Amino acid sequence: MTNQDQQPPWGKKHKPQTPEEVVAQLINKLQDFFTDKKNPPPPGNGQEPARPTSPFANIGKLLTVILIIIVLQGVYSSFFKIAPSEVGVILRFGQYSRTTPSGLHFKIPYIDKLYKVDVENIRMEEFGFRSRTPGQQSMLDKRGFDMESLTLTADTNVINVAWIVQYKVADPYSFLFIVSDVKQAIRDISESVTRRIVGNMDFDYLLSNRDLLANSVKAELQAELDGLFPKGTPGVSITTVQFQDINPPDQVKPAFNEVNEADQDMKRLVNEAQENYNRVIPKAAGEAKQIIEEAYGYQAQRVNDAQGETQRFNDILAEYKNAPEVTRTRMYLETMKEILPNVQTVYVIDKNQQSPIPLLNLSSPGLSTAQPKQQQER
Amino acid sequence: METDMKQVAQFFLAGLVLLAVVLIYDGFFILEEGKQVVITQFGAPVGDPVTDAGLHFKMPFIQHTEIFEKKILIWDGEPNQIPTNDKTYVYLEATARWRITNALKFLQAVRTEATAQSRLSNIIDGTLRDMVNKNNLIEIIRSSDWSMATMSETTDPGLVGGKPVNGRDQITRQILEIAAKITPQYGIELIDVMFKRVNYIDSVRLKVYDRMISERKRIAAEKRSTGEGLKAEILGTVERKLKEIISTANKEAVTLKGKADAEATKIYGEAYAQDPDFFAFQKTLESYRETIGGNTSLVLSSDSDLYRYLKTVDPKPGK
Repeated sequence: MTNQDQQPPWGKKHKPQTPEEVVAQLINKLQDFFTDKKNPPPPGNGQEPARPTSPFANIGKLLTVILIIIVLQGVYSSFFKIAPSEVGVILRFGQYSRTTPSGLHFKIPYIDKLYKVDVENIRMEEFGFRSRTPGQQSMLDKRGFDMESLTLTADTNVINVAWIVQYKVADPYSFLFIVSDVKQAIRDISESVTRRIVGNMDFDYLLSNRDLLANSVKAELQAELDGLFPKGTPGVSITTVQFQDINPPDQVKPAFNEVNEADQDMKRLVNEAQENYNRVIPKAAGEAKQIIEEAYGYQAQRVNDAQGETQRFNDILAEYKNAPEVTRTRMYLETMKEILPNVQTVYVIDKNQQSPIPLLNLSSPGLSTAQPKQQQER
Repeated sequence: METDMKQVAQFFLAGLVLLAVVLIYDGFFILEEGKQVVITQFGAPVGDPVTDAGLHFKMPFIQHTEIFEKKILIWDGEPNQIPTNDKTYVYLEATARWRITNALKFLQAVRTEATAQSRLSNIIDGTLRDMVNKNNLIEIIRSSDWSMATMSETTDPGLVGGKPVNGRDQITRQILEIAAKITPQYGIELIDVMFKRVNYIDSVRLKVYDRMISERKRIAAEKRSTGEGLKAEILGTVERKLKEIISTANKEAVTLKGKADAEATKIYGEAYAQDPDFFAFQKTLESYRETIGGNTSLVLSSDSDLYRYLKTVDPKPGK
């Protein structure tokens, strides 16, 4: 119905009821409009019967139609919507006019031109690998992949690096109008900067310093890119540089694994030795304490023994001094009494017997007839 | 008659309007941001190139516009196989950023971006080839800000090398300087030149891989040997500590025992010195007890104190 409403200039007498009628009427009118004006106007369209039959009349009408179409298109294109993550950059006569935030806005048709830029979207570039997204062929391009990821290190070795760069638009105007292919510029400079910094580091250093590498690349990449844009209005800002893979090339990998194995071996050997140490030394320390404790024990025993014995001696001596003769004899006799029962044989020889001592058969008491006095004890 | 006049006037007016429209349409042109234009008249350039975006005017019909990029453009070189000064063949791929600074010269000298790209290829590739030829491989890999800090200890000392004389950044700067002197004649300003990729050619790369493998094997052997050494060292320490601990303990124990013996001797000595005779008597008796056992035979005189009374009751022994 809107179409119908917007076609007023040659009048509308009849309000059409059905779509078919509208179409029929429209065709009719158009036919009338372009047919020779010498023919009488059909009934219902006879608003201007007295119009002079000038050759420009038709052209005038044609122009009117064109004008209307142009106006309609202009009105339609003068409103535009900017999505929440976008901004609109508007050029008036090709010259930068303003940047609009998200929302519904108006521009002058045919004079203002709109560029939409997504300023929130984080854009990503991948280097040395491609995400396995459906339909993407790059993963198969092994050669291109190799050339992108193989890099020379400071010790003239070859290393495989794969990384991503994430960025977003900083200044929309700069992003649009300063560099012709921002994405390609980021790709080129990123590769160049990464290789330059990798070229300053040797192989082993790189393997263990990926964060440092990422930070240096990010800073230098941003600085190089800023150099392309006017001061203060960089077109892009690098949000992340992350190294996915820093690896030896495939052909060299087994040798690297061998180093890792050797490293493990080294740790194992040291652990084994440590185990031995731990098994032996604490035990030895305990044993040392044992030896010393035993020595202390000996010391205590020895001193106590000495003290005890001397105490006994002192006590006996004190009593002995009261009656030395008697005590001596007593002690002697007591001792003898104790000893003699244990003695196998005791020979008592009379001093006055001058004859030589008869032969003694010590082992056979039965033959001891020559003995004048023999005391057999049990 | 009057209508005829009117018709002619109308005709004339319409013609005028049409002409005006066409003139305005062809006479004004919009130059967008990031573009520049050279106005030509019958093919020959007229006036200075227009570089400001906005609405501009030219003579309709007789003057035409040639629009060029004002944005920074990218030149990407093909990989070049170049020998370095120390005769290592490398694939080198460079990239450069450039822009049209003089559209008029650009139009006259190269006309299209494609031509410009191929001119740049000639200029940059040639300069690059010269510079790489003159420099050793290490100069192309390392930059002037290289330092020992970014080298690890495990690296083969033969490969550590030193600071580059020029370095990658200086070489690219020199290439830029030389090339940038040539490009203005094409209306082109060269903004930068960078080495995008430097790689060995395939045959060299295989040799480098071999070297890397042998290098790793060297490191692996070193690690294993270090492990054995550390183990031996620890085992040695175990022996040493063990002996130290036990001998120290023994020393202390013997010292303690010696002191104990000394003290005991002192105690005994002090006590027994009071009456050495009695001590001897007592100690002798004690020793009898301990030494005279079951399989001993004793021969005693009847004069002895024990058996004296067997012969006599006289308490005075005839000793």
